[in-house]
Amino acid sequence: MSETPAGVIHDLGYRRYDGPRLGRAQIVRALTWHSFRSSFGIGRGVKAKIVPVLACVAMCLPAFVNAFGVARGSPRLFGYDVYVPQLRVVVLTIFVAAQAPELVSRDLRSHVLPLYFSRPMRRGDYPLAKYVALTAACLLLIEVPLLILYVGTIASAKNGHGVWAETRALIPGLGVGLMWAVLMAAVGLVLASLTGRRAYATGIVAISCFLTWTVSELLIQAEGGITSASAGARIGGLFSPFNILDGVRIWLGGTSPGEDANPGHFGPLYGVVAVLLLAACLGGLAARYRKLSMS
Amino acid sequence: MVDTMPPSQYWPGGTTPPDLSAALPGGTTPPDPPAALPGGTTPPDPPAQAVIQTRALTKVYPGNVTALDGLTVGVAPGVTGLIGANGAGKSTLIKILLGLLPPTKGQATVLGRDCQTSGETIRTLLGYMPEHDCLPPDVTATEFVTHLGRMSGLPPTVAKERAAESLRHVGLHEERYRLIGTYSTGMKQRVKLAQALAGDPRLLLLDEPTNGLDPAGRTAMLELIGRIGAEFGISIMVASHLLGEIERICDHLVAIDAGRLLRADSITSFTAVSEVLAVEVEEGLAQLQQELKARGLTATVAQRALLVPLGGDDTYDVVRDAVADLALPLCRLEQRRHQVEELFRGDEGAAHV
Repeated sequence: MSETPAGVIHDLGYRRYDGPRLGRAQIVRALTWHSFRSSFGIGRGVKAKIVPVLACVAMCLPAFVNAFGVARGSPRLFGYDVYVPQLRVVVLTIFVAAQAPELVSRDLRSHVLPLYFSRPMRRGDYPLAKYVALTAACLLLIEVPLLILYVGTIASAKNGHGVWAETRALIPGLGVGLMWAVLMAAVGLVLASLTGRRAYATGIVAISCFLTWTVSELLIQAEGGITSASAGARIGGLFSPFNILDGVRIWLGGTSPGEDANPGHFGPLYGVVAVLLLAACLGGLAARYRKLSMS
Repeated sequence: MVDTMPPSQYWPGGTTPPDLSAALPGGTTPPDPPAALPGGTTPPDPPAQAVIQTRALTKVYPGNVTALDGLTVGVAPGVTGLIGANGAGKSTLIKILLGLLPPTKGQATVLGRDCQTSGETIRTLLGYMPEHDCLPPDVTATEFVTHLGRMSGLPPTVAKERAAESLRHVGLHEERYRLIGTYSTGMKQRVKLAQALAGDPRLLLLDEPTNGLDPAGRTAMLELIGRIGAEFGISIMVASHLLGEIERICDHLVAIDAGRLLRADSITSFTAVSEVLAVEVEEGLAQLQQELKARGLTATVAQRALLVPLGGDDTYDVVRDAVADLALPLCRLEQRRHQVEELFRGDEGAAHV
């Protein structure tokens, strides 16, 4: 550095920029797009792509296999709204645990945030961009297999009626996927934003998701399983975000039988808890970055 | 190299005789950079439109910690040093100027805009270099500066161009495709400066830019900042706790202590009152002092030299005549400047009374 002939700079001259500047909304969009790409490891090293690629493969493989099966005459095995539920829980947990820290903990670790906050964005814009990006990434991970399955199935549909039936089954499935993405991205980000250490952040997210899920499952089992009508079994699902999501799905009229939770007449409670959890996570995220921007 | 030195490296009323070029063979007159002009004769621009203006700015943190205490100061265009010990309120002031921290009382404007209400607009016009490390190790400098250029509102291709240009301006052209993690501390500081420069700011806020650098790195960084201020036409406010260091590149100085203004003035107005002539003789110091007094100059003894306030060119003549008349062995006659630090120290003492 100091051996660089400093005089060189003198001759190059400085150019002003008088062209158009993007507004705040466009800057936030640029950050969202950047974060969305990095949540799949695009624009990052090979190592950053391992988890996203494996997660995508794991999620899409059953859909592919089943789509092929449908083409050979076997029935569609997975419901769009409960597509491989156990696998989805595991894969989504791993994905969020690995990629939420990628989006927020890295910036915390390297103290880049003051550089963002000293730019035109407002203080809430940074977490907003990160949240939208991770939600979109989760959505992609959840919905693409459904679309593969859908396309594979309607390709073998015999008539318009079959296509219509498939489409009607798909739409609630996409809705459920959206619900999952919206809630799990919020849970993952707020937990990951607690620490700048990636390993810790991943651990916190993964353990929180798995632990609550296990606790919730055990409670339901201890109370007689999902077929049990006891109140314990019905509200046991409230201890895990995944089971809350499944409970809300059933409450909203999901026809496929639940694997985990069966809310019964506690359905509205599941809805309320889901909204509260989402609000708490987003509020926590906003508060966290508000504090960070002032320090 | 010497030609590109910032103007402030040449002390006002330098001892170089003005007829030096006449003594050189005709035609080979070295290009005389404006920097070589006696700085004392070029008055600083009057603070026509202040780039920063605060009025009774007060910030009290929870727990009754007062970081700024009724600070009223105007900063003119050019390079301004913001001097204060750690905890004097420099960083708090910068946060308020960036519109990130609401003041408890008072008002601050940057480039004519109110910091509390126009934070977004101000931040498009500002470049900020934080004090602490703020670089991710696992991206290249180009990627990083490009991304932050985008965050400053530059369109994608412009951001790329300006990132390359900014990195070249700070002297990181060759290394810009390397991961930042492989950089030395000096190079990292340059990346921090480049990202502040990428958005084409009208004003740069640099918080302790020489932090963690070795002496050579400090000099290089200061030269770079001086050059940005002098040649790029960007106003700069440099916060530092090392006065002796940044006075070389500043046009103005603002000193704060415990959140209050100690003194704000142009550097030339400091030098105007601080120029002294040091006269050293091998013997007869007291004799000379008396002789000078008889000729109307009050000289003070400092170690082995006499310090004579420098009134004008005739002071040299009076001293020369006095020494010649007394036939004293003169061994040194030099023009000195008080370090601005001393002036502040005096002031500080007064401020605490």
